[in-house]
Parts: sequence; structure tokens; C-alpha cells
Amino acid sequence: MMQQWETTVSNEEKPNEKSRAIRARQRAIGRELRRMYDDVAQEPVPDDFLDLLRKIDDAEQQKSGKKVS
Amino acid sequence: MPASSPSLRPSEKPENSDFRVDLLALIPFLRAFARSLTGNQEGADDLAQETLVKAWQSRATFTPGTNLKAWLFTILRNQFYSDRRRAWRQAPWDQEAAERIPGGGEDQLFAAELSDTVRALRRLSDEQREALILVGAGGFSYEDAAAICKCAVGTVKSRVARARKTLIDILDGADTLGAVARPAEGDAAREIMAQLDKLSPGRTDDTGAGKKRSK
Repeated sequence: MMQQWETTVSNEEKPNEKSRAIRARQRAIGRELRRMYDDVAQEPVPDDFLDLLRKIDDAEQQKSGKKVS
Repeated sequence: MPASSPSLRPSEKPENSDFRVDLLALIPFLRAFARSLTGNQEGADDLAQETLVKAWQSRATFTPGTNLKAWLFTILRNQFYSDRRRAWRQAPWDQEAAERIPGGGEDQLFAAELSDTVRALRRLSDEQREALILVGAGGFSYEDAAAICKCAVGTVKSRVARARKTLIDILDGADTLGAVARPAEGDAAREIMAQLDKLSPGRTDDTGAGKKRSK
């Protein structure tokens, strides 16, 4: 439904060449965004994060330790 | 306080250690999503760490077998907006400063190293940016992105479409947003929305396109 409308409108505006160009640019933008995202995702996880999990663990251990004993 | 041991507890419940392993594996993506939302490294890592703590504390509410990544991203997103609301409340004068410096000071420092596209991303509305990141970079389905952003699937679709278009407009406008040609602003998507609204005022909102559009 949405797509139908879009096609109708852009066809009236201009032939396919323009929309092809737009799609190509959108793909390029998509690549750029994925690169930004993947670059961060591929960084090694900073030690802070692992320390944090360890701290949470310790806190919980104390808590449950108190309950048990 | 007893000395803490960093090793795994033998008494740990197996489901807890599974959850923890999965959580650890997803930290890189939490950092990536946080960075895309905040636009700066330090704030992003704080946000991702807050998320980690929240996730661990609420692990009992996670349904095993469902999408943990989407669950974590939902927490991160909520945290992002609530931190920001709190920051605004606590320091109302910051708002003024934020308006003086487009994108915020820290963003600008980082912007120097960023591509035009990534810089342009900072100028999208929050709604468009998050939708585009989730779908366009994070690889989430429209359905999962909708669940994360708490909106209808159709709303996500239209936000992503508008985000892509706005990015192109910004990039074409090169220096200033004001330079974006007004005719292009007569934006097909917006026209379609307006037409849809006019044509079927009583339609059931199956696309969700009319919902939560303004902010």
C-alpha cells in the first residue's frame, strides 16, 4: 500500500533514473552507517565492562551469601 | 566485607551463567548502539554500562528463548532517554548551551573524525535516527525495531524512509541545513501521509504511520 503510493508519486515526478540514483545513494549511506556501527562493535570490550560484571557478581554473592549462612 | 573472588561461583545457578555468557557476548553491540545514539564514546560507554547493570538486575524478567539483543537494546534506549530527561531537569541552563552549540560540544570534537554521513546522522530527529540505526546498521527487522522503539511496525518503516531521505537532503545541502532545497522538502513521504490522512480519516491504523509522528 505504502509502496504503491510512493511509486505513483515518484513516477509522476520523474522517470526511474532519479529513483535509481536515490537508491544507490541510500545504499551508500547504509554501508556507511553499518561501517560506523561495526567499527564500534569490533572494538575490544574495555576492561571497565568486565570489571563491572565482576562487581555486580560480588555484590550478589555477598547478598546471597548472607541469606544462605 | 569478605574478600571478593573474581572467579565463577560454583554455586551459581546454571541459568544465571548462561545469561551472563550471552550478556557478555552482546556487549560490543550495546556499545555500538549506545555510540550511535549518543554520538560520543564516553557517554556511550557509560550508557552501555548502565544498561548492563539494569539488565543483570532485571534478568528474571527476561524470557529465555526470546531475543536477548532486542531486550537489551530496549533497556539501553529507555536508559538513554531517561538519562537525558534527567540531565535536562537537573540543569535547565544546559539546554541553552546545547542550543548554542549544535550537536553539543563533545559531538563536535568527534565530528572532526567522522564521515559526512555519520555527522549528518546527528542532525536527524531522535526517532528517525534510532529507527535508521536499528534497521540500517543493527540489522534488526522492522518488527524488532518497532518493539524496541515501542511503536508500530509501519511507524518504523516510515521513520527509516524519512531518515534516509533527510540524510540525503542534509548531505546535499552540504554546509547548512537551510541550504536544503525547499522543493525537495515537499517530500513525497510527507505528502503521502497527508493524503492518507485526508483520504481515510477513519482508517484503522494498520501501518501505524499516523501514530506518534510528532515530537
